[in-house]
Amino acid sequence: MTTIAVKRPGEAKLKDLFKPGTVGKYTVKNRIKYGACCVSNYNGRDGTITPRELARVRVIAGTGCGLITNQGAYPDPWGEGKAYFRQVAIHDDKFLPQFEMIARYIHDAGAMAMQQILHAGRYGGIDLGYCIQPSVVPQTLPHFRPPREMTKEQIAVTVKQHADAARRAIRAGFDATEITSFMGYLLANFNSRFTNQRTDEYGGSVQNRGRFMRELIDAIKQATPDNPLSVRLNGAELMDKWGGNTQDESFELMQQAVDCGVDMISVTVGWQEAPESSFGRDVAPGYWNFLSEKAKKMFPNTLVAFGNRLPDPAMADQCVRDNIFDYWEVCRPLLADPEMIHKAAEDRMEEVRPCIGSLNCLSRLFRDLPYTCTMNPMLGHEVEPEYHVTEATEKKRVMVIGAGPAGMEAAITARKRGHSVTVFDKADKIGGNLAAYAANDLARPADLQSVIDYYGVMAKKLGVEVRLNTEANAKFMRSILHEYDACIVAAGARTDLDSFKYMPGSETLIDALEVAHGKKTVGKRVVMIGGGMIGLTISEFLQKAGHEVTVVEKDKRVGGDIMPTFKWRHTAWVDELGIKTICSAQLLKVTADGATVKTAKGEEILIPCDNVIVSSPRRANHDLFYEFQWMIDELHGGGDATVPRGLDAAIQEGYKLGVRI
Amino acid sequence: MTTVIEETEQMFGDMSQWQSMLDRQRELFVDMDSGARLGFVSREASGILPGKHREGVQVVTEVPMMAWEVNDGAMSARIERFAGLSATRVDILLVADREAMDTMLAELGGDMLRTIKRLIRRGNIMFFLFKNKTQLQDAGYEDFLESLGLAFIGACR
Repeated sequence: MTTIAVKRPGEAKLKDLFKPGTVGKYTVKNRIKYGACCVSNYNGRDGTITPRELARVRVIAGTGCGLITNQGAYPDPWGEGKAYFRQVAIHDDKFLPQFEMIARYIHDAGAMAMQQILHAGRYGGIDLGYCIQPSVVPQTLPHFRPPREMTKEQIAVTVKQHADAARRAIRAGFDATEITSFMGYLLANFNSRFTNQRTDEYGGSVQNRGRFMRELIDAIKQATPDNPLSVRLNGAELMDKWGGNTQDESFELMQQAVDCGVDMISVTVGWQEAPESSFGRDVAPGYWNFLSEKAKKMFPNTLVAFGNRLPDPAMADQCVRDNIFDYWEVCRPLLADPEMIHKAAEDRMEEVRPCIGSLNCLSRLFRDLPYTCTMNPMLGHEVEPEYHVTEATEKKRVMVIGAGPAGMEAAITARKRGHSVTVFDKADKIGGNLAAYAANDLARPADLQSVIDYYGVMAKKLGVEVRLNTEANAKFMRSILHEYDACIVAAGARTDLDSFKYMPGSETLIDALEVAHGKKTVGKRVVMIGGGMIGLTISEFLQKAGHEVTVVEKDKRVGGDIMPTFKWRHTAWVDELGIKTICSAQLLKVTADGATVKTAKGEEILIPCDNVIVSSPRRANHDLFYEFQWMIDELHGGGDATVPRGLDAAIQEGYKLGVRI
Repeated sequence: MTTVIEETEQMFGDMSQWQSMLDRQRELFVDMDSGARLGFVSREASGILPGKHREGVQVVTEVPMMAWEVNDGAMSARIERFAGLSATRVDILLVADREAMDTMLAELGGDMLRTIKRLIRRGNIMFFLFKNKTQLQDAGYEDFLESLGLAFIGACR
């Protein structure tokens, strides 16, 4: 009997992305490579793979990618190559059983399995108090260790360790291996002029600097002659001003790798210490494609993989069609939604939880915490049954107060479990304060708006009733008494104008949220009270629109509540836009002349202005808890309505309520 | 003809102006340990040049360095000698190119730390750390590093 494979509707649309390919002797079912771009930090301190990691890998295996790269494992027994607190090790056969399980999970899902070997070099030695590099070039980031120069003997040993690790990966059942310079690891340290100042045959010319890489490729190819090898190499280091490689030199190094017979070049961008963004929310999708295009033109007979800041399958499909790359290398969007490839294949892209490039994952990673995702509350909790969406034993009628991220997340999760769910919001659209934040965002408003769009689509698809223009209060609750079994208060937070109640001129203060929502306009000269996320975002927007903004912050610094990996972006905008900041200061009074603030030194400063906007302090809208506590069986709260924080906390808490209610 | 040293000293300008600037920023240094030290060198004079690192970072001619050192919660500025990265005794070394030096001198009376932060971000000032994060935090550097934006830079953006 002949079986005919039926293409799913999205596969027919994105036919170049979903067409099969080959890597070496292996057939790959589509042109999607799961990139090992994030170390999870879910594992043991000694490099052993944990059940938490294995549960996570099962999800990765099921993403639908044709080629899956398992996260980078360090190859040396001392941990000189270990960059992350709970990074996986592959320096000993004792680790084989878990790697065998991972390879099996990937194969069972019909994908090709690749193991990355990651020696972090300049960023390594996390448990040792030092790192090894080709030369002693001091660190530029405080969280890395002082360097030691590698001897030639150490170089030889390191090359052998990589070959042994590759051999071990293949023995475990992997089909291919990968070595990586991304983003400034040992391979990059040898390749780069910035960190390689050796005067022996490993330093100096590009040819000499590439010697270590060529030796690695030769050794791994000899150790695993039948298995493909991928090399991740910078198309741009973004370290030019620090004396790093130019783009031309980067491509010369790629040429060396190609000449050595490497099977795939994975083009990457940036070093961790580069002074500009490579894939944050402020970089437009597709921005770096030109690097991949150049690689593909230079090396038409070598496979090229690429995916830096390219989160969209439709864009990736076009790139494959245009010969910009052979394989779309994707990771972070699949952290946000592990089902994205399947949804693309089924032409259900509107149902994808979008990766918004908040880099929450990396903010946590660099604080030695397991990575999590702003958009995907399940990430890292796959092993815990309590986090899974299961059918509710008792179906309830659930009301959710507030159509912001916390409320909508709780609503769709509860609905998936079989509860009947109604969301109430006083506004005329869903999104809550996130909509206002998106409207003022200088990075990419579309990213944040996509979160709201996603919730709108899912609510409709799942049959969550949304009642807008409906304010929940005690009178309203009396009108619907006993219609619901459970109530989730996710009414967000408000600006606490009451804290200025007795201040002269308090009646003139303007609520930042009113400005953000477009309900109030302000004059040319503005004072913003509060330099946190909300205050800065609105200030940046206003300043860019031609207003003259002065931010007054009570703490020593602005941006205290902003995600670490994006805080720099706001502080840079403050500088670039010329926003004045006065820290350690409090508002004393507002008069016709302007705002008077008092600094920590006791100095009083008059700031002439037309309006004073207040963004801080914020206060949780938890009044409803007290009003409703005798009116409904179950009463829960989440998101800013309990403690004002950010988007990630809202979504995480909304989800937790949804799976447990 | 001016020597490299004279030229560099000209670049740093009047040290009393630098000292006034540091005095104005006094609150940033009050929590710092006595003995905490930063160095400023000219990129051109020190030889720490983009594209010439092989000769530059480790082999340099002795050149003047502006050192900032904390004593009893106050930061003072003076000129010392810089004899290469391995010999330097500072916690943080800032390497400023000619454009950065000119900009800093022109803005010495203003918000200098913001200027330095901007120049770091633009790549006109390179910096090297000789202590790790914990050591710097313990020595009371946190506020100062934050004011320069150093704590935010890097780490996969």
